Amino acid sequence: MVKEKNILIKGGRVIDPEKRKESVVDIFIKDGIVEKIDKNIGTAGGGTEVIDAAGLVVSPGFVDMHVHLRDPGFEDEETVESGALAAVKGGITTVACMPNTNPPIDSEHAVKYIMEKSHDVACRVLPVAAMTKGQKGRSITEMGLLSQAGAVGFSDDGKCVADARLMYEVMRYSIQFGLPLILHEEDLRMSECGLVHEGKYSTILGLEGISRLSDDLMIARDIMLAQRSEAKIHITHLSTAGGVEMIGKAKKKGIDITCDVTPHHLFFDDSVLTTFNTNFKVKPPIRSSEDREALVEGVKSGVIDAVASDHAPHLDTEKNTTFKEAEFGTIGLETLFSASFTKLCLKENMSLPELIALITCGPAKILNIDAGKIEKGKTANITIIDNEAEKSIKREDFISKSKNSAFIGQMLSGKIVYTISKGKLAYINR
Amino acid sequence: MLSKKSLLDIESLDLEDIKLILSNTDSFLEISKREVKKVPTLRGKTVFNLFFEVSTRTKTSFEIAAKRLSADIINFSAAASSIRKGESVVDTLKTILSMKVDIIIIRHSDSGTARMIDGFVNVPVINAGDGKHQHPTQALLDLYTIKKRFGDFKGLKVAIVGDFIDSRVARSDISLFEKMGMDITIVSPTMFLPEDFSELKVRYQIDDVIEDCDILYMLRMQFERQDRKFYPSIMEYNRFLGLDMERLKRMKQGSIVMHPGPVNRGIEISDEVMDVGGKLAERVVIEEQVTYGVAVRMAILYLILG
Repeated sequence: MVKEKNILIKGGRVIDPEKRKESVVDIFIKDGIVEKIDKNIGTAGGGTEVIDAAGLVVSPGFVDMHVHLRDPGFEDEETVESGALAAVKGGITTVACMPNTNPPIDSEHAVKYIMEKSHDVACRVLPVAAMTKGQKGRSITEMGLLSQAGAVGFSDDGKCVADARLMYEVMRYSIQFGLPLILHEEDLRMSECGLVHEGKYSTILGLEGISRLSDDLMIARDIMLAQRSEAKIHITHLSTAGGVEMIGKAKKKGIDITCDVTPHHLFFDDSVLTTFNTNFKVKPPIRSSEDREALVEGVKSGVIDAVASDHAPHLDTEKNTTFKEAEFGTIGLETLFSASFTKLCLKENMSLPELIALITCGPAKILNIDAGKIEKGKTANITIIDNEAEKSIKREDFISKSKNSAFIGQMLSGKIVYTISKGKLAYINR
Repeated sequence: MLSKKSLLDIESLDLEDIKLILSNTDSFLEISKREVKKVPTLRGKTVFNLFFEVSTRTKTSFEIAAKRLSADIINFSAAASSIRKGESVVDTLKTILSMKVDIIIIRHSDSGTARMIDGFVNVPVINAGDGKHQHPTQALLDLYTIKKRFGDFKGLKVAIVGDFIDSRVARSDISLFEKMGMDITIVSPTMFLPEDFSELKVRYQIDDVIEDCDILYMLRMQFERQDRKFYPSIMEYNRFLGLDMERLKRMKQGSIVMHPGPVNRGIEISDEVMDVGGKLAERVVIEEQVTYGVAVRMAILYLILG
């Protein structure tokens, strides 16, 4: 076994997202394990890589709970390896990958495939398995076998189980295994043929609309089902003001519900569609400014528990086409932090620990995984950020196999300078 | 010269552009009335008619316009089924560009395609209809037709009747008519209206506007563009939104009936109205629209290429 160099991080603002606090301390990492967190740790002899973090932010490695790695089946768009590299470039050390691959992650074998691949890649990759076989919404997957094999949650992401009875049984059955159901809420008849948010801009541009009702009907249904079944549900990529309101009320009632939002739904509103840029074609659609404001308020008030990228890689040929023909999705691993930081901290005055909680302990708690904190005796997963650096995002910047980023052309602040993942220095950009 | 290189939508035209197009149309209309209907204005220029969607009048209208200006025109038609993927649109374009054309006239069934193509090429692009988005030359010929009848635009009451949500003509007309200070009412049943139409003046039945409007603009019922069919029946449409003789007679003195064509006889306009003779026939200006269409397109080609 090759011994890793020991690492000493000196003088950084170390964030404790759980406590929403920060303090200037040093961190010493020995053989990949956090050995010491203290003030003024000396360099213990040679062979130690010293990172001068004065003026930099030291955070637990980020957790992105909604990522499409396209592996197996669409390896020309992304793989577990390439996705993990893009993740650590974005300061992410844990990703949960969605099951809409080919074949889908709906079998013990498929879960094991991801688990095995994840050993040798730059960050932790945790599979989310399908709720229904083939994600077809007709019969329940072997949720017991899948959870034993290592699944951290269940989802039919990209699809939505239309059959309420089946959804109810999925919820009831999931309780046995204690794993969250990650729900993509979309009434498929309501959203049929839709391309963008139904509103002023869909009308002006002649693009078929997707009503807020498409999301809200399913959120309402699933809150009712969760209340009755007492399952743990998580609404992913929330896009509507109505969703924020309903989930806020459900939480007050004591229903076991959490939710996340993407940086692109926080950053943009549907006025960006006037250029017909297909990188803004996403699902759920980028909605109106009122919805966006409600999402920001939801983050501030704590109704929204996490920010997740919904990293959705697509080939140029799938995006370089007419708006109608283009696929839905934007990549997001590499801009998860900078986009969220620029919007929530710089424009909306949230504190850095509050933001970091949304991409560390927030999602870790939802998935019930050991991640999102810096702890003595644990494998080092640490991200070091220069929060003053600012740059205009270019297509060439991305290392993901796909380049379909909605953030191309935007000025974003916050640069990841080091990512220590699985105890090793996995990314350096100083 | 127009303020922009390409004509993609009405929004990007300023008032000067619009005035210029209207005044130039007058002279090109005169050419169309001559014995020899041809001027050498665009000799040596190559116009590419790129139609990814079936069209007879718009394509023919551009073709005649280009020929009367002595340009060479090449027609490229592709049935929607044979070129489905947009990537093929891009490939087709590359081929065309290597043949050194001077302008591309594009029609496509997907909204935003004209703009997409404009981003790929450095020659001017004219949008001849993109999905449900825009059809600017139709709106300009409609405006010219109105000018010929009314002289001025301010305060004219226009009722646009029919399938609003699926209509690129309605979008371009509304945008242009608003710029000219006209007073617009949409007459459309709920299934052809967006979820939130609070920014539009809306009526549900043709009888609400028939006696009061100066211009009754009948939209084509576009079954081919409707993703799902929600309207109950043609009989219901006739009753609440169709133009028949009885309604034509009730229209006020000097008012006109327009339609972008082709008319669905017996749906939005009855046979009787289409074939009406005598004094009432003066109200129906659908054929004038087609005639002026050629002159308007000559003016646009001239202003972009000349």
